Amino acid sequence: MLVSVKKVILSSLLSLLVFGLVACSGESETGSDGGSKSEDGKVKLTLWETWTDDTPDTRLLKERVEEFNSSQEEIVIELRGTAHNEYRTKLKTQAAGGELPELFLVWPGAELEPLVEGGVVEPINDVREKYEGELIQATTLDDYAIDGKQYAIPASVSYTSIIYYNKELLAQAGYDKIPDTYKGFKEMIEALKAEGITPILAGNKPKWPLQSVYISTIADRFTGSDYLDKVLNGDEKFTNPKFIESLAVISELKEMGAFNEDINTIDEVEARDDLLKGEGALFLSGSWSTTAILGALPEGMEIGAASFPSVEGGEGNPEVISGISSIGIAINSKLSDDEKAAAKKFLEYFYDEKLYSGLLANGTLVPADVPLPEDASPLFTDVYNITKGGVAPVYDGVLPAELTTIINNGLQGIVTGSITPKELAQQMQDELDNQ
Amino acid sequence: MRLTKKAKRAIMIGLIPALVIYIGFAIIPIVVSFYYSFMEWNGFSEMTFIGLDNYKQLFKDHLFWNSLKNNIYVLIASVGGQISIALAIALLLNRKLKAVKFFRTIGFMPVVLSSVVVSLTWSLIYNVDDGLLNVVLRSIGLENWTMNWLGDENLAMLSVSVTIIWQFIGLYMIIFLAALQNVPKEILEAADIDGASEWTKTWKIIIPTIKNTIFAALVLAISGSLKTFDQIYVMTSGGPNHATEVAAMYMYTKTFESLQFGYGSAISVLIFLFSLAIIIIANKLMGQKAI
Repeated sequence: MLVSVKKVILSSLLSLLVFGLVACSGESETGSDGGSKSEDGKVKLTLWETWTDDTPDTRLLKERVEEFNSSQEEIVIELRGTAHNEYRTKLKTQAAGGELPELFLVWPGAELEPLVEGGVVEPINDVREKYEGELIQATTLDDYAIDGKQYAIPASVSYTSIIYYNKELLAQAGYDKIPDTYKGFKEMIEALKAEGITPILAGNKPKWPLQSVYISTIADRFTGSDYLDKVLNGDEKFTNPKFIESLAVISELKEMGAFNEDINTIDEVEARDDLLKGEGALFLSGSWSTTAILGALPEGMEIGAASFPSVEGGEGNPEVISGISSIGIAINSKLSDDEKAAAKKFLEYFYDEKLYSGLLANGTLVPADVPLPEDASPLFTDVYNITKGGVAPVYDGVLPAELTTIINNGLQGIVTGSITPKELAQQMQDELDNQ
Repeated sequence: MRLTKKAKRAIMIGLIPALVIYIGFAIIPIVVSFYYSFMEWNGFSEMTFIGLDNYKQLFKDHLFWNSLKNNIYVLIASVGGQISIALAIALLLNRKLKAVKFFRTIGFMPVVLSSVVVSLTWSLIYNVDDGLLNVVLRSIGLENWTMNWLGDENLAMLSVSVTIIWQFIGLYMIIFLAALQNVPKEILEAADIDGASEWTKTWKIIIPTIKNTIFAALVLAISGSLKTFDQIYVMTSGGPNHATEVAAMYMYTKTFESLQFGYGSAISVLIFLFSLAIIIIANKLMGQKAI
């Protein structure tokens, strides 16, 4: 009897000890993450970013933070990097646990919305005023605004739909540029096939490329840029024949044999490598591929860039390309006033002309109106010029996550032939009606 | 052997740290999942109690049932493929062969490799254009046997299962080899004297002796196949068009990509109950407690 009493006491003591340890370590964790005054009286702010690759643009972004730190007596920004693919999950999970740092990178639209709904990000309309109409157009700033409140300032714009093409292979089929119309585009595909060249290289294992890169712009050509908003408001439907036609472009290209056969089993980077190995003529990707292509371009290979051709009977402007702002830094709404002021000071320092022209010089497209450097490569000049025509919405930036999952998987199904464009459009509309 | 009170107490104390960690990281999350599964919650905003709505929706969700069906596919492949092939190889390697050690090492190799490495390697092998498998088939004139192994919705599950089987054969092979060492030599010699054939010896003596080990391996294979995630995630990400999506992956997508924490919790509760049911059934069928 005595023994068992002792046992109980001992075990509860031990578990107390263990929990105590856990609790203590938890506390010190939040201490280092939480933005408190550090020992030397400075305001310390942690910034979560995805600049883990060592590329010219990430180096520049980090340099700007360093410059800010050395220009300030009172404020220190501490960087904490996470690879891009894991970052979004990490952000959501930590946000769910209420453990976000003072500053963190956010993406517009469907990514930002739940954070705003949950009240974890601070509106920064006063910061926006300093940029609006000055350095950045209001419409571009609106990417990071929800219900009239601004939550971040973009550092770059990702255009998600650019045709990169191998000039030599295209010349073999008798073309010196991508045709202006979809009809001509299909003739070019046939001509390439006749030469024994794989016309289009695509890697859709990750499921988003056909949606983000292809449909976002192709559907825009057919339906116009305000269609998606109308659908989400209930004024239009996904079963609109124009939208179905745009999905049918994928099945048509597939049936023509335009794609590499392993489209559903390789990813975007593998497809890009295949382009650089000369295994196919065209590769559709976002503007983020420009620096990667330039960095790995074999000697003697020439790559050009074009936008998707116009379609017959299309209601969209054939100049626009789907795109979305990125590299916006949000402020945690739980900060003290001092910390918020320090964070805003940092944002205004960070997003300046020097950053934008620096990014542009490194091959990243920016939302600010700064001139293209004179020594820009021909490919980047191409990309710069074709993206001047305006921006169309990117589907996964606007659609709720559920619909994105449906269209992503459905496009894989269209490629394998297990679902028709019409069925996919119906599925999407059904999901929307259910919400 | 009777334990003294002192020894008992020492064992108790020794168990506490592990027990606390186990309760904290395994038992409590399961309980919390039950709680979340009655909620509608996007992870940030206030939770709202919605009773059994998540479960009602789940029972109508054909994508969930599809993912569970794929789990059962993996389960059958693992139990059928891994256990039987591993047993056959173990029986072969248990004889006086030359270079037994060499073959044992080769067989065990895939177990040591990380799942991601294995899966990436197999995706290269399966590639429709320049994958090893199709290249070999073409070079021996079997052009029309070449397939889009991972890209075809009807084949993808089979291809993925082959990889999973291949990866774990070595593990069960080692377990069986260890058990085979314990088969009493005297009985085998007696059987030899009685003129029993190798076949009879295997079926009548060796297999019954290592029966318990086989049952334990079966339970391991079942629970392993219900947890499958990494290989499929790397090879196909559940595609094309949900063809290889398993329950754990569906739960992950729903929870962290669609931000439906309540619904995701309901899925994990169902996976938990389903696994429990299968393990209980397996134990009943084997008529004993393997675990």
